[in-house]
Amino acid sequence: MQIEHLIDELIRQEKETVPNPFLATRVMAQIEGARKRRSKVTIWQTVTLAASIAAVAFLGVSIGNSNVTKETAEVALNINDRQIENLGYYNFGNDEQGQ
Amino acid sequence: MTDEQLIREITADNNAAFKTLMERYQLQVFRTAMGFVHTKEDAEDLTQEIFIRVYQSLHTFQGGSEFSTWIYRITVNMSLNFVRSNIKKRLLQSLEALFTLSSEDKNPLEELESDERDRRIRRAIDSLPEKQRMAFILSRYEELPQKKIATVMNRSEGAVEQLLQRAKENLKKKLSSTVGK
Repeated sequence: MQIEHLIDELIRQEKETVPNPFLATRVMAQIEGARKRRSKVTIWQTVTLAASIAAVAFLGVSIGNSNVTKETAEVALNINDRQIENLGYYNFGNDEQGQ
Repeated sequence: MTDEQLIREITADNNAAFKTLMERYQLQVFRTAMGFVHTKEDAEDLTQEIFIRVYQSLHTFQGGSEFSTWIYRITVNMSLNFVRSNIKKRLLQSLEALFTLSSEDKNPLEELESDERDRRIRRAIDSLPEKQRMAFILSRYEELPQKKIATVMNRSEGAVEQLLQRAKENLKKKLSSTVGK
């Protein structure tokens, strides 16, 4: 009986303890702080990701360009044999003789 | 505003609604935490952690049980985790409390005796098996009916009654030799 009473008394004392009246404000401030940090991180993550993609693309193009070898001659002759000796003239002559 | 309406507001990014919800439940969370940690500072820290967790996981609340049941479950689980991870700190605190005694209406010897008695009772409560401790704290600190405790603990009412009975017997056994003589 005595033990029961002592336990009840201790519990009553502990139940009478009240939390800091600013506890809710403290929690709200912490939640708000965490939200701001998270949104900042998200913006930075997005910017970093975009910058990384751009850098990788630029690097790829640069490396690709540095390895290009020119396989075509600088001066190329384009000779059309038919223009050198136009056989059509001879054909035309033969036709004339035949007529 | 009902809890459900407040939750809808919070999920729609209305932080003022969360403050209202917190003010509604902070005393019950704090009292339950007190039952586990016994000091105001720790109970406040724990209450803070609990509400941050509630805020973060509010979107997982399906409404299958009452919101108060859900928040009691979080409180009890987080309190047990807090106690497990702060065993050394709490031991130091109880030793510190022994050496920093002050009271106006008791002489030093009486005060020493009463503090020692309280410390023993707290230690006896803390040494109860987890399920018994949960049932005991919800019943004595929160004065919840057995039906509600059974819902929080996912047990039958009969099982809760048994846990409470065992907790009472264990406390008597642990304290009979040292307290209340």
